[in-house]
Amino acid sequence: MNTALTTTQLSVRFGDKVALNSIDISIPSNGVTALLGANGAGKTTLINCALGLCKPSSGRLKIFSETPGKIAAKRLIGVMLQDSNLPDLLSAAEHIQLFSTYYPDPLSLEQLSRQCGLERFIHKRYKTLSGGQKRRVQFALAILGRPKIVFLDEPTTGLDIDARNLVWNTINQLRDTGTAVLLTTHYIEEADALADHTIVMSDGNIIANDSTENIRAATTGAVIRCQSSLDLSVIETLTDVRSAKIRGRQLEILSDNPTATLIALLALDPNSANLTVSKSNLEDAFIKLTNDSKLAEAAS
Amino acid sequence: MNSLINETGAEILKAIRAPEFLLPTMLMPCAFYSLFGVVLNNSSGNATYLLATYGVFAVMGPAIFGFGVGVANERDRCWLQLKQAVPAPPYNYVAAKIVTTLLFAGLALIPIYLIAGFLGGVELQRETWVSLFGLHLISVIPFVLIGLSLGFSLSSGGAVAISNIAFLGLAILGGLWIPVTVFPELMQTIAKFTPSHHLAELALAIVGVGGEHATSFNLLSVLVISLVLLVMAISAWQSQR
Repeated sequence: MNTALTTTQLSVRFGDKVALNSIDISIPSNGVTALLGANGAGKTTLINCALGLCKPSSGRLKIFSETPGKIAAKRLIGVMLQDSNLPDLLSAAEHIQLFSTYYPDPLSLEQLSRQCGLERFIHKRYKTLSGGQKRRVQFALAILGRPKIVFLDEPTTGLDIDARNLVWNTINQLRDTGTAVLLTTHYIEEADALADHTIVMSDGNIIANDSTENIRAATTGAVIRCQSSLDLSVIETLTDVRSAKIRGRQLEILSDNPTATLIALLALDPNSANLTVSKSNLEDAFIKLTNDSKLAEAAS
Repeated sequence: MNSLINETGAEILKAIRAPEFLLPTMLMPCAFYSLFGVVLNNSSGNATYLLATYGVFAVMGPAIFGFGVGVANERDRCWLQLKQAVPAPPYNYVAAKIVTTLLFAGLALIPIYLIAGFLGGVELQRETWVSLFGLHLISVIPFVLIGLSLGFSLSSGGAVAISNIAFLGLAILGGLWIPVTVFPELMQTIAKFTPSHHLAELALAIVGVGGEHATSFNLLSVLVISLVLLVMAISAWQSQR
């Protein structure tokens, strides 16, 4: 498989603090990869290494076989930094015009304006834009050079729903045009909704690296919620039930195989009311993974 | 080249859209010169002397503030980091700012020259005016380097404060307002380490008013000081996060 980004035993230390601990990952050249982790997990350091803003202490990182920081690598990437702000006194159009001179074949102003929804404010000074509008302008600059890989460091933090949906749609468009997207987020629902692939980081280590589907499935199957007259101790003995608890008036059953569990449940209590089955979300997986890694660390 | 022109255009736009920042640094030297060089002075000798030194003062503002405060501000906003991540030619950022600084330094000089010539009774050969203007413009170099060191190492708030101290300190210690000869000995020694002092003496030599030192000594000093400042600016650039 073609990879957009590869790291080989990549480590970064700031004094005594280990920000990245001998990381080996590869990001596929198409599809969306989410880098998930709490603050201080090393997500931003990894992105900064890929951008050439942070030198590895040891190991290496390649972007399509190019070295980060070199002009050849920079032409392949698009970037939206966390809390980055453009100069206040220029308009979106002026920013776009300036950035267009950096790339051999940039998208046109009209195209960007349409794709990123800038039409209404493209000639207003950056200072006067709302938070969501500013993010859109930054996003436009990230995709302006027709990049092969786009780094989005917390692209939707602080956005309202409209702006967030727009960013999500554009990320999906990028995926459709065969661009690799690496986004960091601590919104699990964002990884869940967008990412084909999820990497979970904790304290500078990779603790999970798999398809989002597998990561979700690796830890949990499905959640069954219902109202039932059965006793909790009985429910726990049903087929494939991992755990069960009462939340308010509802039973919440975590099952590895919801179909088998449901058949067993309905056989015992055909009157179960308000029955719903939902896929467990990535959040459950994330909590479990980070806990597991902390437990493993404590044990070693 | 195209991107340098665009980059410079963007810098100029940013500057003229913040006149509250630009105008005071440009008008203050002119106002001071009118007051001390013309209004409170009857001899044209003084007007000539102060034209040479206030010219250096006039270019210090755009250089120290433009770079010190400008760079620190853009670093605070993570703008500089973004510029480093995109394929912008690496020296464009500084080059565009230097061109802009030269432009505004020139604009700050012109009213002073006009006042000197028409109101202050300063009479110089045409070549002398041109050489003086050239020297005053080149004088931005050490101050740009000072600004860069401040901008790369301080937050925007700190940069405003320290730039002010550097600006006024170098003007006073360099003898741009009052000749260093009236200073106590210690201050005269300190003056020898300031770029402003040597540049002012070079300007004085051009208008035919001898300075304290030989021109070759002034030239060598400016060169050495600028090299030291260049090393400082580069190390500040490399150690920024």
